[in-house]
Amino acid sequence: MSASSPTSAPAIERDLWGLLLLAPALALLIGLFAIPAVYSVLGALTGKAGGPSLEHFRTAIGLYGWDIVFTAWLVCLSVAVIALLAILIAGYLTLGANRLAVRALAWLYRWPLFVPMICAAQMMRGFLAKNGMLNNALVASGALSPTTTTSLLDWRGILITFVWKQFPFVTLLLAGAMASLDRNMIEAARDLGAGRLRVLFGIVLPLVRAPLLVGCVLTFVTLMSVLSVPVMLTADSPTMITVDMAYRINTFGDYGTANALGVISYLMTMLAAWVYLREATRERR
Amino acid sequence: MRTPAMLAIAAATAVSAALLGPARADTTLTVATAGDQNMVDYVNQYLGPKFEKAHPGVHVRAIGTGPGDAGSLAIEQKLMAESKSGTPTWDLDVVVIHQRGAAQMVPEDLLAKYRDQVSTSKLVTSPKANNALGTDVAGYVLPMFDSQVAIAYNPAMVKDPPRSFAALTEWVKKNPKQFGYNGIKGGMAGIGFVMGWVQAYGGLGARLDAGPYDAADKGKIDDALASLKAFNRDATITPGNAGTPDMLGRGEIAMGAVWADMFYTWQADGRLPPELKLVLPSPGLPGQPMYYAIPEKAAHQQLAREFIELATSPEVQAEGIVKRFNWYPGIDAQYVQAKLDPKIWNHLFVDITPQDLKADAKPFPISPYFTTILNEYERVVAN
Amino acid sequence: MSLAVLRWVPRGLGLGLLAFAVFGPIGNLLLWAFAERWYWPHALPSQYGLSFWSRVFAPRADAWGSLGLSLLIAVLAVIVSLLLAVPAGYALARRSVPARGVLMLLFLLPQAFPSLPIYMNIARLFYSVGLNGTVPGVVLVHCLHGLVLAVWISAAAFAAVDGAQEEAARNLGAGPLMTFATVTLPAALPGLMASAIFLFLDSLDEFTGTYFVGVPEIVTMPLLLFNAAMGGNYQVASITALVLLVPSIVFMLVIERFLKADVLAKIGG
Repeated sequence: MSASSPTSAPAIERDLWGLLLLAPALALLIGLFAIPAVYSVLGALTGKAGGPSLEHFRTAIGLYGWDIVFTAWLVCLSVAVIALLAILIAGYLTLGANRLAVRALAWLYRWPLFVPMICAAQMMRGFLAKNGMLNNALVASGALSPTTTTSLLDWRGILITFVWKQFPFVTLLLAGAMASLDRNMIEAARDLGAGRLRVLFGIVLPLVRAPLLVGCVLTFVTLMSVLSVPVMLTADSPTMITVDMAYRINTFGDYGTANALGVISYLMTMLAAWVYLREATRERR
Repeated sequence: MRTPAMLAIAAATAVSAALLGPARADTTLTVATAGDQNMVDYVNQYLGPKFEKAHPGVHVRAIGTGPGDAGSLAIEQKLMAESKSGTPTWDLDVVVIHQRGAAQMVPEDLLAKYRDQVSTSKLVTSPKANNALGTDVAGYVLPMFDSQVAIAYNPAMVKDPPRSFAALTEWVKKNPKQFGYNGIKGGMAGIGFVMGWVQAYGGLGARLDAGPYDAADKGKIDDALASLKAFNRDATITPGNAGTPDMLGRGEIAMGAVWADMFYTWQADGRLPPELKLVLPSPGLPGQPMYYAIPEKAAHQQLAREFIELATSPEVQAEGIVKRFNWYPGIDAQYVQAKLDPKIWNHLFVDITPQDLKADAKPFPISPYFTTILNEYERVVAN
Repeated sequence: MSLAVLRWVPRGLGLGLLAFAVFGPIGNLLLWAFAERWYWPHALPSQYGLSFWSRVFAPRADAWGSLGLSLLIAVLAVIVSLLLAVPAGYALARRSVPARGVLMLLFLLPQAFPSLPIYMNIARLFYSVGLNGTVPGVVLVHCLHGLVLAVWISAAAFAAVDGAQEEAARNLGAGPLMTFATVTLPAALPGLMASAIFLFLDSLDEFTGTYFVGVPEIVTMPLLLFNAAMGGNYQVASITALVLLVPSIVFMLVIERFLKADVLAKIGG
């Protein structure tokens, strides 16, 4: 892909120019990302007395152990649901028979993509409440009675908001990837009598594994950083550790414990990123 | 293709410049206030315009730093950063802070001792103006208002409102999930309820708000919090100070711990049904004033003093604090009562009478107990 | 009933449910934005009106200042991001750079780590240099947030430019800068414009970074929304959310023209 200039400049000069062009962006990366990241790890590992210590991790796990487990579980579940939804929708967009339905779907699914996460949180607060719009609709349709409605403003609310907000992004990636696949293969399979679901999961999905994994990892990381949704939708605990980090800083100025929680969230995402790298490098061979 | 994008960018810049333009005046008085949005509204909608009318050429800018002690901490951090950087004048002129914030900032020399230079100083005799959670703050602050945590209830669903914590615990056991409060991370109303619980079941007596702090009390606090943990199983934890009245308004809970002023304001705004009422269970729930203070090196010291003088004048306390925003006055009640229609004055005292307040309105515990209870709550109740 | 119509039953049901799921919450927002009195047990507001709109958009109210601030920061963030990302993307796509793969991954790092811990430490660093609560501070944070997107889309856009055209220009005697300005850049422009729009929206909607770095002076629209929501003012929060939605929806309609499948497919490759 990298077609270098056809002039006869020596390789080193080309490399130097390349690095020069990269320098400003790299500077931002180092100054605003690498340095604070190092600070956060150092802060987590430096005890109140000044020497190296694990006390902040002990405090973090002691006070927020359940929240850590809750966060990991909820984000993984959200990503799984998002992935499934994205596969099904992108699959229909690629394999759907009826052009009108496909176009309607393509127009419909994109909308949440352009809603800011915090707006989504605000919407869901009203929509998912015990007497909110969702329950009112269910009552009106006869599925529930007014006394059996429950408020979904707990982990289910967070899950729904995450899925609602993020599924268009992964669907977009997948649909784009599926669209550039060779249609002949798909047609051949269909001609042989394979059902559409089988084609989707047996032929198409393995070919778009890379974009799917990119989408999943990016979604995982995004969801791990969200503060607005858990704060606005759920109360006290269990809650996501982003809320706990903000709480430690805002109420106590306790950077030690907050950074310890931050390092724990890094470790969680490193696991997810490692999964991607493994899958992606497997692809390249 | 390029031109429309360029035009859009140019338009956006022009619009943003125009929107930011009017903020320029000869002098800007910057008021940073912790607390809920109604605090910012108070300055923007009432106090600011009033002050500007009396002082042409001055623009009052209100910044909200967020609810709860976190908002006051944000102000403390900002002033501390400015103090450390050595700038000659700081850019906040007036700060409105919680008691905990004042208790931190006075010993850190971040506030100016202005009270004696303000004429309304003699209108305040309450000890709450001199002491914040056990720290001496006399001379550095004037109360803006006084507030009270109370239990709001729906008379249709609660025939016999509980008048004590014991009665409340009984009621909640019989009516699970019908009582709500916002824990300790969502705002001070929930924290107030927890403090009230420790007051009722901790057996620390007067030590809680008068001191002296005894580290051995941690065991008693843990015991009280253990019973709170059991209580929480039958209670609903709501999201934030506003979450409780929110759920009350939607009929999802029948009783909840709320700030009295927020309760009355929401009723006036049509967000709570008018039938709801308040009750103050014994041995009591805390309330706290919020303070006006002036940063040590504020740029406009004289203007700041005049602003606070206006804010603590009987007229403004009557019209702004009591009538418009349903707070209890910060200056002594008799000066404010004289300026108000008796009906409006009594509105504040219809559910919770002055006698109730005398008996059951408590200050928050002193700082060491306050912090211990918060930490122990996380350890004992939340895990 | 013919088979064709019958086939529409599951389709219609599926589309209908999705439409409710997508537009229901948005509809709820609209209701709250125009409701004046709404409490249980009413399923719909008992009184509609615009009084909260006048409260939000009163001359003194925060909304105007927040809107102006949000727009200003977004525009600045796009400009700075592109200034950083265009040369970087060009270098990664066209020039030979040592360890290109490693560098691409390096730029992925901010996206690979939860940003909240980073933001809280940036805030602390900014405090010591006086960048906290300032527009440049917030712009820098927004740039970091959009860096991955900007660099990767930029690299993908430049990679999609046909090398043959560049060669032709060079053979005709054009210098590297001329070639870039007249051949490469225009060809990559759709992708770059797409990334500019994404960056603008990203900045407009950014909450967590501004929450730590901008507070208390910089109150962008998302922060205003947050404060109103946490303060329990549903009407004001919904109105603010609506105002925040408008630029996003407008750009969604504009971006339809720029989103090309091949550009998207190259992201991640």
